[in-house]
Amino acid sequence: MTPVQQALLILLLPLASAAFIALFLRRAGGLASAISVAACAGLAALSLALVFGGERNFPASWEWLRLGGFSLSLGFKFDDLAALMLAIVAVVGLCVHVFSLGYMHDDGAKARYFGGLSVFMFSMLGIVFADNLFMMFIFWELVGFSSYLLINHYCEKQSAADAAKKAFIVNRVGDFGFLLGIVMCYWLNGTVNLTELAAHHVYTTWVPLLLFCGAVGKSAQLPLHVWLPDAMEGPTPVSALIHAATMVAAGIYMLCRIEPLMTPQALTVIMWTGTATALYAALCAITQRDIKKVLAYSTLSQLGYMVAAFGLGSLLSEQGEHRMLVAAGVGAAMFHLTTHAFFKALMFLGSGSVIYGCHHEQDIFKMGGLKSKMPLTFAAFTIGVLAIIGMPYIAAGFFSKDAILHLALEKNTAVFAILAFTAVLTSFYMVRLWILVFLGTPRSDEASHAHEGGLTMKLPLILLAVLSVLGGYTALYGHTFDGVWSLIPHAEGATILVISLGVMIAGGGTALMLYKPAGSDALEQKAPGLFGVLVALKESFDAVYNYYVAKIQQRFAILLNFLEQVALAGLIIRGFSGLVGLFGIGARALHVGSLHAYVYWFLIGVVVLWAYAAGVF
Amino acid sequence: MNLLPWSIYLTMAGALLALAGGRRSAGTARWIALLTAAGTWILTLLAATRFVPGPGLQTLVDVPWIPAMGVRYHLAVDGISLTLLVLTGLASTAGVLFSWNIEERTGEFFALFLTLVAGVYGVFLSADALLFFVFYEIAIVPKYFLIAAWGSTNREYGAMKLALYSFAGSAMVLAGLLWVYACGGAHGFSFGQLTHAAATLSRPGQIVVFALVFFGFATLAGLFPLHTWAPTGHVAAPTGASMLLAGVVMKLGAYGCLRVALPLSPVAFAYWQTPIAWLAVTGIVYAGLVALMEQDLKFVIGYSSVSHMGFVMLGLAAANPRAVSGAVLQMFSHGVIAGLLFAVVGRMVYDRTHTRQLGDLRRMKLYRLVPFATTMFVIAGVASMGLPGFSGFPAELTILIGTWTAAPLWAAVATVGVLIAAAFTLRAIQLGFFGSTGPSSASATDGPGLHAGSAPHLSPITWPEKAGALLLVGATVVVGLKPDLLLDWINPALQSPLLQAVLKGGAP
Repeated sequence: MTPVQQALLILLLPLASAAFIALFLRRAGGLASAISVAACAGLAALSLALVFGGERNFPASWEWLRLGGFSLSLGFKFDDLAALMLAIVAVVGLCVHVFSLGYMHDDGAKARYFGGLSVFMFSMLGIVFADNLFMMFIFWELVGFSSYLLINHYCEKQSAADAAKKAFIVNRVGDFGFLLGIVMCYWLNGTVNLTELAAHHVYTTWVPLLLFCGAVGKSAQLPLHVWLPDAMEGPTPVSALIHAATMVAAGIYMLCRIEPLMTPQALTVIMWTGTATALYAALCAITQRDIKKVLAYSTLSQLGYMVAAFGLGSLLSEQGEHRMLVAAGVGAAMFHLTTHAFFKALMFLGSGSVIYGCHHEQDIFKMGGLKSKMPLTFAAFTIGVLAIIGMPYIAAGFFSKDAILHLALEKNTAVFAILAFTAVLTSFYMVRLWILVFLGTPRSDEASHAHEGGLTMKLPLILLAVLSVLGGYTALYGHTFDGVWSLIPHAEGATILVISLGVMIAGGGTALMLYKPAGSDALEQKAPGLFGVLVALKESFDAVYNYYVAKIQQRFAILLNFLEQVALAGLIIRGFSGLVGLFGIGARALHVGSLHAYVYWFLIGVVVLWAYAAGVF
Repeated sequence: MNLLPWSIYLTMAGALLALAGGRRSAGTARWIALLTAAGTWILTLLAATRFVPGPGLQTLVDVPWIPAMGVRYHLAVDGISLTLLVLTGLASTAGVLFSWNIEERTGEFFALFLTLVAGVYGVFLSADALLFFVFYEIAIVPKYFLIAAWGSTNREYGAMKLALYSFAGSAMVLAGLLWVYACGGAHGFSFGQLTHAAATLSRPGQIVVFALVFFGFATLAGLFPLHTWAPTGHVAAPTGASMLLAGVVMKLGAYGCLRVALPLSPVAFAYWQTPIAWLAVTGIVYAGLVALMEQDLKFVIGYSSVSHMGFVMLGLAAANPRAVSGAVLQMFSHGVIAGLLFAVVGRMVYDRTHTRQLGDLRRMKLYRLVPFATTMFVIAGVASMGLPGFSGFPAELTILIGTWTAAPLWAAVATVGVLIAAAFTLRAIQLGFFGSTGPSSASATDGPGLHAGSAPHLSPITWPEKAGALLLVGATVVVGLKPDLLLDWINPALQSPLLQAVLKGGAP
C-alpha cells in the first residue's frame, strides 16, 4: 500500500463507519458501537504504521472545485507536525472509543453516539491532513458540526440543546473571521496551499489575525471561550476526546500550520490573548463545584498556555558560527499540546469513571473517599494531576510547561509572571479537586456505592496514564517527530526548574492546607469576598453576551420583524391596495345606474374636450 | 441536442392529459403528472449528456413568429440555462411526489402545476426577449390559482399579493423592453439586438430602462425590499407549489436579471451596481434576522429563502465571472434545498400535525414521531447553513470569493448573513423537531389533540415522500461533492460576448 492510499484509507475508514451506521444501524446500538470501535482501531493501527513508517511529504492532491483559472483542491500535507497530530488523534481517539463502550453501554441512542464519534474522527483527521487552508476550513466546519451533534446527545435536556447551539454559533463567529482570512489570503497571494504560502506570501498582519479568529473560536480563547464550559453537557468521553484532547487543540495546530504567515504584531496579539485566557480560566476554575467544569476551565487555561507559547514566537539560536531563528513557539505549543492531550484525556476519562461509578453525580462536594472505592481511577487521576501541575520528571506536563515558561522568560517578563502565577493557580485548583473527590469519606449515597467500571473503562485509563508519564521524554519517540521536537526550547541551568517547583509547591501546598475533604467550599467560608469576585468574574462574559443577545440583537430582530409585518407588508402594501380601493369606490360612485347622470357626465366630458380643443386651458 | 424543446411541449401535453385523466380518477392524474415530470427531467438529463459547453447560446429552434416586429420563436441553450433546466426537472418531479395527497380536483391541480412548469422550461430556453416574456407570464398565472384554490393559511391574501407583485414586476419589464425596442430602433427582440438598441439611448434613458427591467425581474427573485410577496406566498401555497415557487419561480427572476437585464446596458449597470449589491446584502442580513424571530416554521423557511436568494443577487451584482458562476450554482443549490425544506415542513409535518407553530411543535418532539422527516430536515438545514459536503457550501463560498474581489466590505457583511443563517436554522431544527423542556412549555396549554405523555398518532411517511426527499438530498450531496459537474457548464457560458461586456475581470 502506498502512503497516499494508506492516508486515504485512514481518512475514509471512519467516514465509511459513520455512513454505514447512519444508513443501516440506527436501531442496532450494539452493532453500531462495534463497527465504530473497529473502524477506530483500524485507523489507529494504520496511522501509527504511517507515522512511524517514516514516509513524509508524499504528494497527494485532487482538484475539487474549478473556478476559471483557479482551482480549489483537496490534498495531504504530511510532515512531522501532521504526523504528531495524527498520532495523538489516533491514540486518544481509540482510548475514548473503547472507554465509550463501557460508559455508554446502557444509553438508548448508542448508534447515534457512535455514529457521531465516527463523523468526528473523519472530520478531525481531515484537519490533520489538510494541505490548504480551504480544505482545513471544510473539515473545520465539519468538526464543529459533529461537536454539535455530540454535545446535543442528551437532546431532551434543555441545557444540552442550548449548549450545543451555543457551541456551534460561537464557533461560527470565530469561523467568520477565519473564512474572511482565507478569502483575503487567496485574494492577496493567489493560493491557499500551505506549502506554497510558506514559500511565498504577501506580508500583512490582517491575514494571520483573521485566521487566528478561527483558532479563538475553536480553541475557546477569550472572548469566545464561553461555549467550552457549557459543552460539558455532552457525554464525558466526548468531553475527553473533543473538548480536551483534539478538537479544541485544532486551533493551535492550525496556528502552527500558518506560522510562516505570522508578523510580530500578529504574534503579540496572539500571545496576549493566550496569556489572558490562561489566567482568566484558572481563576474561574477555583470556584467550580462540578468535576467536569473544573476540568473544562483547566482545559481553557492550558489552551491559553499553548496559544501564548505560540505567540511568544521565535528564539535566536546560536550554534557555533551560525545564528538562526528557531520557531520555538511552535515547538513549545505543540509539545504542550501533546502532553496535554494525554493527561487531560486521562483526567476526563478518570472523571468519567468517577461519574459512572457515582451514578452520574458530578458535584465534587458530594463525592469523597473514592480513593479506596476506585483505586485504579484514583491512581490514574493522580498521575493526571501530577502531570498538569508539573511534577518534575515524574509526569509529562513538567517538560512541556517548563519549555513554555523558559520561552516566556526569554521573551517577555510580564507574560512569564502571569503564566507562572497561572501555574500556582493550576496546582491550587487541581489539588483541591483531588482532595475533594478522592480523600476522606464518602459524603453522599452515590459516592458510598461507587464502584470501578469494567475492563473497557480500565484499559484506556491505564494506557493514557502510561503516556502521561512517558509522553514528556521526547527521546522515546526516536526521530519520528524531529521536525517538531527540534524546535522545543530547552532551559539551561536550574532557574526554571526551581521556579516551576516553587509555583507548584506554593499552589498545591496552599490547597492542601486550605481544603479538607468536606461538604462545603473552604475558600467560600474563609474568604467570601474573594470567592464572590471570582464567581462574578466567571459570570461576566455570559452576562454581557446574554445582554447583547436578549436586549440588543433580539430586540433588533423583533423590531425588524415588526417593520416587516406592519410597515412593509401592512402599511405599504395595504396602502397601495387602499389607494386602488379608494379609486374603485370613487369610480363606483360615478356609476350610479341612472341614465340622467350618465348623460350629464357625457355632456361635461364633451364640454371639457371642446374647451381643450379650443385652447381654453 | 434537439430534445430540449420537447420539455416544453411534453409538459404542456402532460398538463392537458392530467386534466383529462383527473376526470377519471385522481390516481390517473397523479401518475400522468409524475410520468410527465420525471420523463421531462430524464429528457433534460439526456440532453445534458450530449451538451458541449461553449460560450454563447446554442440555437435549438429559430423560426419567425411575428415578422412585423421581428419577433422570433427562438429557443436556445447554454450552460446556465441547462443547469436551471435540470433543476426544473428535478424540482417538478419532487413537487409532484410531494403533491401526491391532493385529493381535491386533482386533475386541475396537476394541469396547472404542469402548465407552470412548462412556462418555466420555456423561459429558460428562450433566446428572444419577447418570447421570454410570454413564457414568463405563462409561468406566473397558474401560481395564483394553485395558491388561491389549494393553499392554506391566508391563501387569498397570499395569492393576490404574489400575483400583484409578479404582474407589477413583469409590467416594468415589458415597459422597459418596449422602450428599448421602440426608442432604440431595434429590428427584433433577440438579446443582442436589444443591447445594441439600448446603446443608442441617452445615458439617463439607459439608466431608467435598466432599472425597469432589472428591478422588474428582481421582484420575482425576492430582492429586498421587493421580497414581501415571497414569505406570504410560500406559506399560503400548497406544498408542491411552494416547492416550485422557491425552487424555480424565484430563479426565473434571477435568471431574467442575468440573461436579459445585465447585458442590456453596461453603462447603466455600472450606475446601479452598488445600490443593487447593498440591497442584496441588506436582504441577506435582514431576512435572516426576521427568520430568527418567526414563530411559524414555514415563515422561517420563507425568509431563509429570501436570505439565500440575496446571495444570488449579490453574486450577480459583483459582476465578475467567479461571483456570477457562484450565483448560478446557488440558484441550483437553493432550488434543491429550499424545495426539501418546504417539502418536510409542508407535507411531512403540517399535513400530519396541522400546525406549524414552533410553540406547538416543540412540545411534540417530532424526532420520535417522524424520524424520517426529522433526518431530512436536519440534512436540509445543515445544507442550508452552508456546511461542506452539500451544494450550498461551494455556491456561497464561490460567491463570497468573487464578491471579495469586487468589494471586500460586501463580502464581509454577507458573511454575517451566513452566521445568522446558522442561528435561525439551528433554532428551527431544535424547536421544530427536538422540542425542549424550557420554562415556557410548562405554562403553555397543550397543542391540538396533544396530551402530555400520550404521543399523537401520526400517519407514517409514504413512499412518494421518501422518494422525493431522497431525490433532493441526492442532488444537493452530488453537487456539494462535485460542483464541477455544473461549473463546467456554467463557466464557458459566461464567456459569451454579451456577458463579457458586463463581467469585469476578463477570463475567469
